[in-house]
Amino acid sequence: MNNALRTFRQALTIARRDFVATVFTPVFLLFLFAPVLLGSFSAIGGMGAASVADSRGDKSRIVAILPDAPARTMAAADARLRTAFRRSDEAPPVLLTRQPGRDPAAQARAAFTRDDFEATAVLYGPLDRPQVLYGPRGGRAADYLALLAAETVVAERPGGSVPRITAVKTQTERPRGSAGNRRQSASFAVFGVFLLNLFLASQVVGTMAEERNNKVIEVLAAAVPLESVFLGKLLGMFGVAVLFVGFWGAIIARLGALLPPELASALAIQAAVGLPAFVALFLAYFTMAYLLLGSAFLVVGAQASTPREIQMLALPISIVQMGMLALALAGTARPDSWIATAAQLFPLSSPFAMAGQAATTPSLWPHVAAIAWQLLWVTIFITLGARLFRRGVLQSGGPRPFWKRARAG
Amino acid sequence: MADDLAVFAEHLVKRFGERRVVDGIDLAVPRGAIYGVLGPNGAGKTTTLRTLLGIIEPDEGRRSVLGHFSPREASDRVGYLPEERGLYPSMKARDAIAFMGALRGLDRRTGRARAAELMEAAGLGHAVDEKIKKLSKGMAQLVQLLGSVVHRPDLLVLDEPFSGLDPVNQEKLEALILAERDRGATVLFSTHIMAHAERVCDRLAIIAGGKRRFEGTVDEARGTLPSRVRYLPTRPDAGLADVLPHDAVPDGAGWRFQLPAEGIEGLLVTLIDRGYGIGGLSIERPGLHDAFVRIVGTAAATGDAA
Repeated sequence: MNNALRTFRQALTIARRDFVATVFTPVFLLFLFAPVLLGSFSAIGGMGAASVADSRGDKSRIVAILPDAPARTMAAADARLRTAFRRSDEAPPVLLTRQPGRDPAAQARAAFTRDDFEATAVLYGPLDRPQVLYGPRGGRAADYLALLAAETVVAERPGGSVPRITAVKTQTERPRGSAGNRRQSASFAVFGVFLLNLFLASQVVGTMAEERNNKVIEVLAAAVPLESVFLGKLLGMFGVAVLFVGFWGAIIARLGALLPPELASALAIQAAVGLPAFVALFLAYFTMAYLLLGSAFLVVGAQASTPREIQMLALPISIVQMGMLALALAGTARPDSWIATAAQLFPLSSPFAMAGQAATTPSLWPHVAAIAWQLLWVTIFITLGARLFRRGVLQSGGPRPFWKRARAG
Repeated sequence: MADDLAVFAEHLVKRFGERRVVDGIDLAVPRGAIYGVLGPNGAGKTTTLRTLLGIIEPDEGRRSVLGHFSPREASDRVGYLPEERGLYPSMKARDAIAFMGALRGLDRRTGRARAAELMEAAGLGHAVDEKIKKLSKGMAQLVQLLGSVVHRPDLLVLDEPFSGLDPVNQEKLEALILAERDRGATVLFSTHIMAHAERVCDRLAIIAGGKRRFEGTVDEARGTLPSRVRYLPTRPDAGLADVLPHDAVPDGAGWRFQLPAEGIEGLLVTLIDRGYGIGGLSIERPGLHDAFVRIVGTAAATGDAA
């Protein structure tokens, strides 16, 4: 029993030391408040997801190319039928009516290329023999348009005989460069930059701990400015990231060549800035995202002195990354909203958001400005990190401000 | 500030919290000299050196290194061995030395070639391609020392370079310090082991409690204490104490006392005249150790020391 008590007492001694060593560190505060970050970012993420869903819903339309009179009748029928849908997500997309031109078939096909709405199904031709074109996932919308055509015919001939109505439904590929494809490419860009950085940027967090543990930091700090040490650490790990991305990029490119042509076509990138510029911008934003997140994590990690503290940083770091993704996605879903502007301006989400914008907006100058803005923040993070490190770890401060010197006498 | 100074510091102050770790230190290290910064543990030696090198910024005062008020501007011409030794454990010894040279602007190829030469000369030729983690602590320390001289610096700053080395390696280090001075470099090192300072230093400063307590040559330091006389009479007698100076104390069969300011000759004549004879006589100059203990002890006694 005595032995057991002794063992327990010794275990408590070690537990107490570990507890104190863990809790009484600044890093623990980050760990402790990680759920607050999680909550904030979840809220942003929720807004993002809702925005994605809303934007898809907002922009989706079913289109009827009809003369005025039947168009009004169809709109009335649509209003009646919609009451049958209790849940908004079950309801078909909003109905748009358009006056037929000389070539309604061409007009219908063109509806799928519009930027101001995303056509899921388009009806044209005589109402008793309507033609319905529909895009991917537009089958139900096409059925609904055919039903509306029948209701319109019935409503226009009250008491009369109703001809047999046969709608010809044809699935059509969404043309390249449509708004939908661009948004898909934007989401791909945001996710791509995010995924590439998810594991790679967080690798930087523990690199300064190595120097602190084996005391090399003193040699480095005496020989080169700390800013160079920080930048060197960041670039070294970026080299590792590029090697990783290059390796897996080459493999995925090879695998891509084996995909069936239809699938490859569906997955093809459609970017507003053009494919070569999009690829260049994607790589640039991957680099910027790495440098920004990496420098931020490097700065935070440099304050940690033990592997335990480094480990505790993993949670807040993951949450921050998820938060940046959510913010960028929210911005991509609503390109003209305040959240898009916020995502593009906030330094840590800016590369993700701007990668998405490269897919949806053709102008290039915002990217030049964004990259300059992001580089400025990399510089700020590194400079700030070096200062914090010098002050906190090397215990060096600049000369005291004059008012403190005066007060000290 | 004179051009013939490699390091110059004027009223350096560094506080950690409210404690003045370096408290108004002045230093003037001549070019080409071996200069020791001596002091007890916690005297502020390391902080002084780190402040001089720009690793930490002073709160007050100014300093210059090789003529530059910003030590960074001279960093390629400076070699530094920190008190807390640090090397990358998985690096090979040769690469570690070349890496340290590269940090100071030496190209890697030259660095690697010089590293092999330096290791060979230091008797570490067999360990050129060994990883640091495979070396003994002393060997790793020597490797780091070689890393601090591989770029042939004009100023070599060594913080407690002798600690952790066995006597053989301590001797090698002394030889290396002298060789660096002969090459034309200035060597500034801190230590609390007086024997090394006594053997190699051209000038030294003794600091305690963050303040400079002494500055001068080794001889000048020793001169702060009078020489001591050890006298052995041929005829022991109780009355001898009345003839000897007041501070004389028995020491075995003889006596020990400070060398009188007027010299020893008059006392010897008296001793012979009174028949005590001279069985043995030696005049001992105080060592640096004694001077250090007195200087630091005085500082402690006045409540100034760390």
